[in-house]
Amino acid sequence: MKLSQVPKGKKCRIKKLDFTPEMKRRLLELGLFPGQEIEVVQDAPFGGPVKIKIKDYCLALRRSEADYIEVEEENEQ
Amino acid sequence: MSSKVIKVAVAGNPNTGKTTLINAIAGTNLHVGNWPGVTIEKKEAKFRYKDYEIHLIDLPGTYSLSNNSAEEKIAVEFLIKEKPDVVIDVVDSTNLERNLYLTVQLLELELPVVIALNMWDEAVAKGIEIDYKKLEKLLCVRAVPTSAVKGEGINQLLDAVIEIFNRKEKPVCVLHFEDPLEEEIKKILRQIEEIQPVLLDLYPKRYLVLSLIEGNESFIDIPVNEKLQQIIQQFRQNIKKLYHRDPVTLIVEERYSIIISIYEQVVKKHPVKSVDITFLLDKVFLHKVLGLPIFFVLMWLLFEFTFELSSPYVDWLDSVLSSFVAPAVSQFLSSMGASEWFRSFVSEGIIGGVGFVLVFVPVLFFLYVFMAFLEGSGYMARAAFLMDRFMSFLGLSGKSFIPMIIGFGCNVPAVYATRTLENPKEKILTVLMIPFMSCGARLTVYAFFVTIFFTQHKTAVIMFLYLLGIAVAVVVAFILQKFFFKTKSYPFVLELPPYRLPTFRFVMKNAWIKTRAFLYEAGTFILATSIVIWFLLHFPIGVKKTEDSVFGHISKVIAPVFEPLGFGNWQAAGALMSGFVAKEVVIATMGNIYVGDVIEEEEKVNIKEGLIEVGKGFVDANIQAGEKLLSIFGLVKTTEEEEEKPDTSLMEAVRNAFTPLTAFSFLVFLLLYTPCMATVFAIKQELNSWKWTGVSIGLSFSSAWIVTFLVYNIGKIFLV
Repeated sequence: MKLSQVPKGKKCRIKKLDFTPEMKRRLLELGLFPGQEIEVVQDAPFGGPVKIKIKDYCLALRRSEADYIEVEEENEQ
Repeated sequence: MSSKVIKVAVAGNPNTGKTTLINAIAGTNLHVGNWPGVTIEKKEAKFRYKDYEIHLIDLPGTYSLSNNSAEEKIAVEFLIKEKPDVVIDVVDSTNLERNLYLTVQLLELELPVVIALNMWDEAVAKGIEIDYKKLEKLLCVRAVPTSAVKGEGINQLLDAVIEIFNRKEKPVCVLHFEDPLEEEIKKILRQIEEIQPVLLDLYPKRYLVLSLIEGNESFIDIPVNEKLQQIIQQFRQNIKKLYHRDPVTLIVEERYSIIISIYEQVVKKHPVKSVDITFLLDKVFLHKVLGLPIFFVLMWLLFEFTFELSSPYVDWLDSVLSSFVAPAVSQFLSSMGASEWFRSFVSEGIIGGVGFVLVFVPVLFFLYVFMAFLEGSGYMARAAFLMDRFMSFLGLSGKSFIPMIIGFGCNVPAVYATRTLENPKEKILTVLMIPFMSCGARLTVYAFFVTIFFTQHKTAVIMFLYLLGIAVAVVVAFILQKFFFKTKSYPFVLELPPYRLPTFRFVMKNAWIKTRAFLYEAGTFILATSIVIWFLLHFPIGVKKTEDSVFGHISKVIAPVFEPLGFGNWQAAGALMSGFVAKEVVIATMGNIYVGDVIEEEEKVNIKEGLIEVGKGFVDANIQAGEKLLSIFGLVKTTEEEEEKPDTSLMEAVRNAFTPLTAFSFLVFLLLYTPCMATVFAIKQELNSWKWTGVSIGLSFSSAWIVTFLVYNIGKIFLV
């Protein structure tokens, strides 16, 4: 599943980043590496960016970028 | 005993309160400038603490030191080349995990680090307990809890810096990755030692090896030996086979696994019953429907604050200079027997020039106050979030919307407002677009012309001009985007920090430091230019008519340029030339040219009475600003200022000199060409480049000429 398809308020785990090396490094360094838990909190009007929560902070990503982050649903235990 | 100098670099992620901390440490010793050759702000301070002279250098806020943005390049280069004695690493205690990533990289650079656990109070309130003594042990650093906002922990932080500085052995922990990888790192190190040992003299070894593995070599100044490169390349291939991931991912994950293990040993989270204010506020401010209207209301407030609150002070400064200082000085000079020419030079050339600079001070100060509030509170990131969709069409981010809005008030503060844009390309593009935003000074000229030529359609004409400015800005942005900024677009990653209330002291201090930087830098240029213009107008000595002055001659020479635009006479050219100084002097120059000098009677100034008037005026300005503040919120109605009576003889002269079409063309040109010298020097200061300043001037003039040409010739077809 793509991050851009995750509904608001849903937690999931990052599976794969599909970016150019530079962008990939940037996201990795911000803590978005495979296995990391991530939550879509809010989205901006008119198809603007999405607000996600990762570790102890919040980040905004463009939808076009959220398209390239592959995630899987959190196993509810 | 001579004091010892300690060179301290301050590193840290964005949004960690680094600026506030530096303000708290250095106070007004702080000097704001730019890093050489780039548009990134550099803050420095020198001050005494105990027996030491501390030289503080603020590095750009970065999330890492991997050398893939301008900010990171500056930080890496500084840390490697300048080798600071101690690095203060400012971390956000409420968000320790991600912040430690930079710390780990600082340790790879083998630098003595003091961690400032900033926002400690906030972490405590959130139930986050950090065993900082243990953190010190695990990382071989000193760690000091601080709260920059409350000024807590500052002395302890400086004491820790001195302690580290005085330690003979500077312990630097090597944070080990998992064993097999660590073995490989050692192997590569041995290879480097054998093949190209000079690399180890130049660069910290662990940082060097890891960077080579990650394929990040841009900080290495000398060519890397080919054999060595092959070995590295081979190893990178092996990583892919062994670990099933690319080298960058591997190294970053290794760093994070160290961080996570430290984090788990050091941080305990206690559940607290508190409301997550940020979460709630974002529900409102980033709301799908309400978010944008709230943003526009805040923008309107920003606009009102900057221009309405500052206007009484601008008027006061103006009147102090023109009706007290200038005549008083002139009087003094004439009592000394100075010639009329010299008196005019001092009172109009110099004091007038100072006036051009000073009138911006209140505007800039109020702007910086509000901008510091927007930034410090965390709302700026939300504004970028909301506007991103719209601005991304132009290759810009949401943040660039704010400077452009300010541009409608005055282009000078607008240019300075681009300081919040981190991406250099975006910053340059925004700065180049700002001059097309029609500012308040241009409106005075429109108003004068429409009352003569377009009495029936005043609003429509003015509205059209504003929209034309925006349209031209958009077209220019598109063209630049297509042909000049072909560089790959910057990734848009925007942190949305928690909402925080910036302190009054921080906001004021910050505003003052930045306003002061304007006075020193741009102020000098503006003053010099206005003196030059004065000379042009009053040379040869004793010249009576503007037409006979150097200024008049130049106007005649350049006038033919405007022939195809419909106003190829020297008078119009002269008015436009003076408009380069400031748009508000265009009408005055026209009066001078078309009607002739109005001989002003010299008033006698009584110094004592004058000073009392100045004081009274300042009190009045404060009262007016207070009233305006209340009226912004609709609590009080301010009385409308009386409009100045237009000069009827000038209006008559202009009516004869222009037709409605040429007048309209003239206004279009006036809208689009370089707004004023103050904007030009603001651009120079902010972009730190004469080249881009030149580009801006060139763009303004060429687009002004082309658009006016089109308007005039299309107009001719329809009107004939």
